[in-house]
Amino acid sequence: MADGKLAWMSRALPHELAVDEEEVARRKEFLEFRDEDIEQLKGLRELARKYADPVIEEFYRHILSFDETKAFFRDPKVLARVKQLQKDYFVRLTEGDYGAAYVANRLKIGAAHEHVNLEPKWYLGMYAFYLRLVARRLQEAFASEPSRAMTAFLSLMKLVFLDVGLAVDTYIHAREATMRKQQEAIRELSTPVLQIRERLLLLPIIGVIDTHRARLITDSLLRAIRANRAKVVVMDVTGVATIDSKVANHLIQTVTAAGLMGAKVIVTGLSSDVAQALVALGLDLAKLETVGDLQGGIEEAERLLGYEVVRTGAGAQPG
Amino acid sequence: MAVPILKQGDVLIASMQEALTDRALIELRDRLSDQVGRFRARSVIVDVTALDVLDSFATRTIRGIAYTAKLRGARTVVVGIQPEVAFAMVELGLTFEGVETALDLEEGLALVRGGPAKGGRDGAR
Repeated sequence: MADGKLAWMSRALPHELAVDEEEVARRKEFLEFRDEDIEQLKGLRELARKYADPVIEEFYRHILSFDETKAFFRDPKVLARVKQLQKDYFVRLTEGDYGAAYVANRLKIGAAHEHVNLEPKWYLGMYAFYLRLVARRLQEAFASEPSRAMTAFLSLMKLVFLDVGLAVDTYIHAREATMRKQQEAIRELSTPVLQIRERLLLLPIIGVIDTHRARLITDSLLRAIRANRAKVVVMDVTGVATIDSKVANHLIQTVTAAGLMGAKVIVTGLSSDVAQALVALGLDLAKLETVGDLQGGIEEAERLLGYEVVRTGAGAQPG
Repeated sequence: MAVPILKQGDVLIASMQEALTDRALIELRDRLSDQVGRFRARSVIVDVTALDVLDSFATRTIRGIAYTAKLRGARTVVVGIQPEVAFAMVELGLTFEGVETALDLEEGLALVRGGPAKGGRDGAR
């Protein structure tokens, strides 16, 4: 069979999940979904039309008997429309055309269900219920030819699993897109370099530092030193619970690299646990200039830059 | 092409315009050492802003410039190390131990004109 080009499907899908012609062919091959299966399914067309209404009614009685899935159908119009779509799908399973348009439709349906937050467990459970309904009807219809019922059912199962695979892909793809956006947001938050005075930068670090993030911190800091012509940097690690040797070495490299660019780095906020861990690691800590807390670090930085902060008489009065 | 050495008062400024061959680096070191004496310079600034890499030989030679100048009574500041170069040097374990550094030429000039020489960065406090 000749599949059409599927490139346009990217535009049809909100998540731009690309499943191309070759990919679909590969899946069918893996499922051993062949021409004879297509013939089997086409042979069920009349049967599908005959059973569409009772199967769909039974299907939705099942869905509506569970609160979690019933919640999606409070609006009777939605229920009526979805039932019709389901009948269309039911009949389409037997029409013999499972190319580009079919695949695009399956991906769209999967994306729609993911979008309304129908969880995979319910969605996949629906497919399972569906197959049970059909199996029963096939047994009834081919009571005198049991092997034919089985052959037809196996062909149908191959196609349904093609559909299930496509649907699961849309769920996974959407979740991955969400995670990617979240990771990007976290990454941006995780390396802020703030200018708090002329030529004085503050780099507060919060959370877990892994090697990847340590590298981002270094890159951001060195570029900020150049962009802001910084002379002093206060790097506060109050919010860092633990530092391993790789990250510690990386931070020392960062301090050294900043020094090469002419900037002095003051590290503040080393907790007791982190300090003990650093000592235990046996690292060369002579290169680190440290101050106990952020306030002290900023005061030291201001001193280095020649600032002097004095209390005025008026402000000191209570009340 | 020889690195131009500019004289401003008692400051010598050597601006590296491109990556130098080992021979050119050695020549620069010798010329600076000579001119420190001839012009009675008190400071040397080595500007590497234009470089996007500093290898181990260049690093060692620049350190040699600083030590030689110091022996002849002058202070050396290396200026203009770019972020990528700084990090690459650190990763490779190359350092300018004992050599002063500054962000750019302006900062280097301010450093040598405005403040007394420090014994070492770690001894600043």
